[in-house]
Amino acid sequence: MRKKINFRMLLRIIGGLTMLEAMFMIVPVITALIYGESDWEILAATAAITACAGFGLWKVRPRSTFMGKREGFLLTASVWIVFSLFGMIPFMFCATPVGLSSAFFEAMSAFTTTGATTLAFPVSSMSHGMVIWQALMQWLGGMGIILFTLAIIPALNTAGGMQMFNAEVTGITHDKLRPRISQTAMALWGLYIALTFIMMVLLWMGPMDLFDSICHAFGTLSTGGFSSRAGSIGEFQSDYVLVVTGIFMLLGGMNFAMIYKVVLGRWRQVKADEIVRIYLGAILVFSLMFIVARIIKGDISSWRELSLLPVFQVISTITSTGYIAPGFTMWEPFVLALTFMMMFSGGCAGSTSGGAKIDRLLYLKRYLSNALKQCIHPNAILSVKVNGAIVNQGLVNKVVAFLCLFILLIVGGGTAMSFLGLPPVDSFFSSFSCICNTGIGASLTGYGEDFTIVPDAAKWILSFLMLTGRLEVFTILLLFTRPFWK
Amino acid sequence: MRIVIAGSGEVGTHLAKLLSYEEQDIIVIDDNAERLDMLDSSYNLMTVKGSPTSFFAQKDARAGHADLFIAVTPHESTNLVACSIAKSLGAKMTVARVSHYGFMDPANKDAMKRMGVDRLIYPEYLAAKEIITSLKHSWVRNWFELHEGQIILVGVRIRENAPLAGMQLKEFASTTGNFHVSAIRRNHETIIPRGDDRMLAGDVLYITATRDHVDDLITLCGKVKRRIKKVLIMGGSKIAIRMTDMAGDRFHCTIIDNSREVCAALPEKCPDADIIHGDARDPEVLLEAGIDECDAFIALSPSSESNILTTLSAKEHGVKKSIAEVEDIQFIQQAEELGIGTVINKKLLATSSIFQLLLDADASTSKCLALTDAEVAELEVRPGAKITRAAVKDLHLDRNMTLAALIRDNKGMLVTGGTRFEPGDKVLVFCLTGALHKVERLFT
Repeated sequence: MRKKINFRMLLRIIGGLTMLEAMFMIVPVITALIYGESDWEILAATAAITACAGFGLWKVRPRSTFMGKREGFLLTASVWIVFSLFGMIPFMFCATPVGLSSAFFEAMSAFTTTGATTLAFPVSSMSHGMVIWQALMQWLGGMGIILFTLAIIPALNTAGGMQMFNAEVTGITHDKLRPRISQTAMALWGLYIALTFIMMVLLWMGPMDLFDSICHAFGTLSTGGFSSRAGSIGEFQSDYVLVVTGIFMLLGGMNFAMIYKVVLGRWRQVKADEIVRIYLGAILVFSLMFIVARIIKGDISSWRELSLLPVFQVISTITSTGYIAPGFTMWEPFVLALTFMMMFSGGCAGSTSGGAKIDRLLYLKRYLSNALKQCIHPNAILSVKVNGAIVNQGLVNKVVAFLCLFILLIVGGGTAMSFLGLPPVDSFFSSFSCICNTGIGASLTGYGEDFTIVPDAAKWILSFLMLTGRLEVFTILLLFTRPFWK
Repeated sequence: MRIVIAGSGEVGTHLAKLLSYEEQDIIVIDDNAERLDMLDSSYNLMTVKGSPTSFFAQKDARAGHADLFIAVTPHESTNLVACSIAKSLGAKMTVARVSHYGFMDPANKDAMKRMGVDRLIYPEYLAAKEIITSLKHSWVRNWFELHEGQIILVGVRIRENAPLAGMQLKEFASTTGNFHVSAIRRNHETIIPRGDDRMLAGDVLYITATRDHVDDLITLCGKVKRRIKKVLIMGGSKIAIRMTDMAGDRFHCTIIDNSREVCAALPEKCPDADIIHGDARDPEVLLEAGIDECDAFIALSPSSESNILTTLSAKEHGVKKSIAEVEDIQFIQQAEELGIGTVINKKLLATSSIFQLLLDADASTSKCLALTDAEVAELEVRPGAKITRAAVKDLHLDRNMTLAALIRDNKGMLVTGGTRFEPGDKVLVFCLTGALHKVERLFT
């Protein structure tokens, strides 16, 4: 006997989470008030509307508190959409208003840490309140909205909460750091907050003021790539800023479970971890390739251009952050080709980065090499091994399925975009960039610094891709399957 | 509380599930990856793959920091070694599941301590004890007594002939104040009733009474007290052996088993019982074994299905009491619905004794009984506990629990709305699964 989906319970929890979002909206309201900006009114109004809506839903009395697998998936998907819907309101009515489609795109791009923008005006023309709201959305989305609530709402500390955790956290398998799901969530968020704080202090000690350092810390740890300056990170003209940002992007692209182990002093486990080694190795190799390509081209004018900038760019790309090193847009096609590869791979599973994740590519590589070996030795027993342990075949199949769906979505999204009249290269590249949650690329493909010229319909397509990419395909695509609802 | 469970077999899984509902920190060690995956993805706990007797796996699970280490693999020696390792790593208390009586012998307690095993669970022994109790009180399904029988909780299924059937709880309470209806199980669900709920035919009622009044319940529930003498047992399992041993000359037992080897070994282990080789599922064999003269039939074969069905056919021969071992928890309700007198389940019995440990580390005073979806526990009121602050009716207790009775100065009495608890009282609490930790908070 299959139970019906417990919608009342879902509405109630969504209500609770929405009230939480309203609480976060107080931050931009206060910021706007401090800077004496008129936007505080709309921000406060949004917070009030959000809180009321949340309270209304919270009042729904569920018949049972049952939360199963389907409720978990549905809740995770809908929470992200609901958060974006409320998060977009300030964009439509602030001092620099935009239309509905753009506002939704903007909110979704922030929550999914894509960092793409359709705004036709530089970020510096927006009020401080709006800027901090964008940064805060990225920061929340980076470690995950659901994960945050799991950490603080004890009522979700159940088997249903487990499903939500699995549906939101990136990666193939999910390491539990502690026995209970709320403890795991608390450990991950605690670590995330601590790292953000350290980075903020480091930036503040450098050339940035407090406001900029908060925004950049939010944008970096979440690997969203948000900058409170029109000229992005390059505007500070400071190598110190690049180094600090580079290090924290690197951490943002690491599996947080591994960072947690380092904090606990379990170095050996981390050092032996294959994924961490490959991640760091990949950054090294790509950096060397960048540097060689630059040397061959021969337009190097300084030591800085040869060492710092390529490494910074590699980290920024592979972690799907999307900060652009100064002068990057003038680099040669080979470098851009490498960029595509890095965007696709993304960082480690369990990190805040986007893309397909290094873990999956490793599984795929071992799976493919086994398939080839099998052609020559048909009787050989070959299995995919990661970190010395055999990976269950079902898991490998799931990874392969994931990668196929990922590519199909890029192709499908690109095709739909070109149907709307965009040039084919731009169509495919922007759908690629959005599903990988990188958000760079606008300036690479030649239609300007941002996604401004994208038509409204295409913004919804890209928003869909961003969400699908952030929740790692299955959570969203499941909702479109018949068995889910039956 | 941090609890490490070694072994994800039936008992381990059931324990892990229940304890995670009770908001404990659970880590399960086993070397079967598939079963662990199932546990990991559906319950709020952590799993570690590895042999329970490996230092590596135990260190991974941080068994050394555990407040409670429970080894419940099917193999006794594995359990003992696992406990020994955990203790040496620093686990506070270790519990091993055993299957031989020798370990339970108080004379060997020191030897067990030296091995690093603090407590033992012996489900077969618990099951045998349970069977003996239900044979003594043949009119009930569950019989749970506190403090040498000062307070007794019984589980009874009522039928149309019971005077209680159709009565509202408040009517019942106004006619006599000697009983407390703690819970009602109806349609696979246990509910904590309120004054306007009715008791219906077909319900299982859990009623608390003091010793002097418990016999009044027999007529109220439409039952007859019968003395059991002759017992027919299907399956020469460990429970059967233990049970015949404990029965002494109170009951006369006949054991039927379909394996010649088992039968051949039985006369040595159960010297007082008659042994018959044959398949108890065959009516001829039952008749030949004298089912018509028997007072009770107990099915203890390894198959729950055979046990249920054979018990049903034995009932047609007119046995007064039927008992079946049902190891699949989902079948327990069905078996009870079909009219089987008492159901024995080793998992629930093992769970009861673990809960007992959780409630009281000394485990000497508290008692606990795990039902399919509820628990009954005896808790002592500590000085300054929340529960002492007001009378029961003003405490605004959770709807998932009820306080049935208490023992004060060695005398049992029922709890009413005006009762006010004092430190040192022992209280009988009935609560639905997952609420025990909330109850516990009230008492400390």
